[in-house]
This record gives sequence, C-alpha cells and structure tokens, in this order.
Amino acid sequence: MFTDKVDLKDFEKQDPEYQELLRRVLAIQADCEIGGPNLYVKDMLPNAPTRLDQLIVARTAAEEMDHYRKIARLAGDIGVDVSYVLSRANKDRYVEAFRGEIKTWEDYAVFGFLIDRVGRFQLEEFIDCSYLPLARVVGDPDMIREEEGHIDFGVNATAEWAAKGGESKERIQQAVNYWYVKGLDMFGKSESYRSDRYMYWGLKRRPNAVARQQYKDECDALLKQMGLEIPDPNKGRLYT
Amino acid sequence: MEAAANTEALDQQFKEFIQALKSAVGSAMPHLKDDPKAVDKALMDCRDILNVVMEGNVKEWLA
Repeated sequence: MFTDKVDLKDFEKQDPEYQELLRRVLAIQADCEIGGPNLYVKDMLPNAPTRLDQLIVARTAAEEMDHYRKIARLAGDIGVDVSYVLSRANKDRYVEAFRGEIKTWEDYAVFGFLIDRVGRFQLEEFIDCSYLPLARVVGDPDMIREEEGHIDFGVNATAEWAAKGGESKERIQQAVNYWYVKGLDMFGKSESYRSDRYMYWGLKRRPNAVARQQYKDECDALLKQMGLEIPDPNKGRLYT
Repeated sequence: MEAAANTEALDQQFKEFIQALKSAVGSAMPHLKDDPKAVDKALMDCRDILNVVMEGNVKEWLA
C-alpha cells in the first residue's frame, strides 16, 4: 500500500500508474461537476415553480461550476486540459446519469436527493488522499458543504411531493425509480481492478461495493421516512 | 510540471462567471417579496451567463 503524500512538484516522479489514475479521476470528476448544470439549467431555470426556486437553480449551478473550476485547476496543473468537457454533448458524458436532460421539477428534486448524494460520496473518497492538492480542495469545507446543501434541497423537495400524496406522490415515485438505479450504478463495478488500484495508491478510500452499500442504506432510510417505495436495486442496472 | 495551456485563463474566466452569477442571485434574494421586477432582471442576468457557460465555447471566451 502506497502511504506517501504527493505534492504537485513531485507528481512527475510518481509511478506511471499513479499519474494515469489521477489524470483519469480528475477528468471524470470535472465532467460530472459540469454535467449536472448541463442537465437542468436549460429547462429548470425558466420553469422552476417559483422565483425562489429559479434562483436556487442558478445558485446551485454556480456552485457546481465552482467545483468544476477547482477540479479543472488541479487537472490543468498536471497537464490535463479538461475544457473539452464544457462543450461536449450530454450523450457523451463519462457517467451515464449525466447523459440525458432534466425537464421536470420532480426530476430536479430527486437528482439533488440521489445523484448529488453520489457526488458527496465521490468527494469523500478524496479526503486525506495521497495527492495533497486534491486533498486540500476537498478538505476545504466549502465543496462538501455546498454539495450537502444541494442534497438537502433535493431531500426536502422530494419529501414535500411525497407528503402531498395522490398524483404528486406517484410522480415523485417515478422520478425516484428512474434515478435510484442510476445512483447505484455511479459507483461502478463491485469487482473492479481499477478501484483496487485507486485504493492501493491512496487515491480512494472505499471499495466500490462498500461505498454503494453505504449510499444505498442512506437512501433507503430516507425513502422509508418519506413513505416512498424502495425501487428494485437490480432493475435496469448497468453495473453490479 | 508544465500546466496545460489556458489553465490560469480558464480558472480566471470561471471565477468571473461564478462571481457574476452569485452576485445576481444575491441581489435578488432579499427582494423576492417586494420587487419582482428586480428579481426578474436578476434571473435574466443568470440566464444570460448560464447560456454562455452551457454553450462551452472556450476558445471564444479566452480569445
């Protein structure tokens, strides 16, 4: 197990596998950070239910853009230009959950509840990681606190819809059914050689399956509290 | 280690986008009840900024 701490000036001295994994994870993280706003800004900014909600959409997009900026800076400093993810079509995103469009407020709410929660899990992977510039960025309380704000908004909005009952509850349940499996898939394959290597190099903390189960436990407890059904975790999954 | 081209410029450009967006949101929040026109103006500003960012025409931004 690699236990060193690596700063920018020593990056080039590291094993090629370390360099390749760090470049890869930063490119994917940057793509995910800007992938969210690309899903919802077009339809949710003008169509959110109230002016307050519209402002929250804009503020959320600004915070995700700032997360993109911080990750893009880290990537740029090690020679990786991730500006290409700013203009790519949604269908070309690294992660399947970011390949569509969000056109309803229910989907926006559940996206915050379930998918931003995956975002928080991914950021937590980098806490105290071996690459110090990345550990510093996620160690700054802003990034994870902002992600938690997006999640809380999503949880509250989802709970409100569920509490209304009737058609509102059915619609939010449909959105949960759609995003739940996408969230589970975002952790990747349980048997993943690359995941093992990330852990070996101190770039991630948990095996995919462990993080996925912790995530699922959190989500399931909240869904139960809201009186919503827990979707079949295996239906429509791409990775197990 | 040589940084990728435009790393600094892109970082600065994004800081400006983010600052402008947060400023527009911040100016509108206290006026949700008393000044809907001001809120609508801020929302238009947000839309204009976000349209540019979502288009992602980096070459144009940094030219």
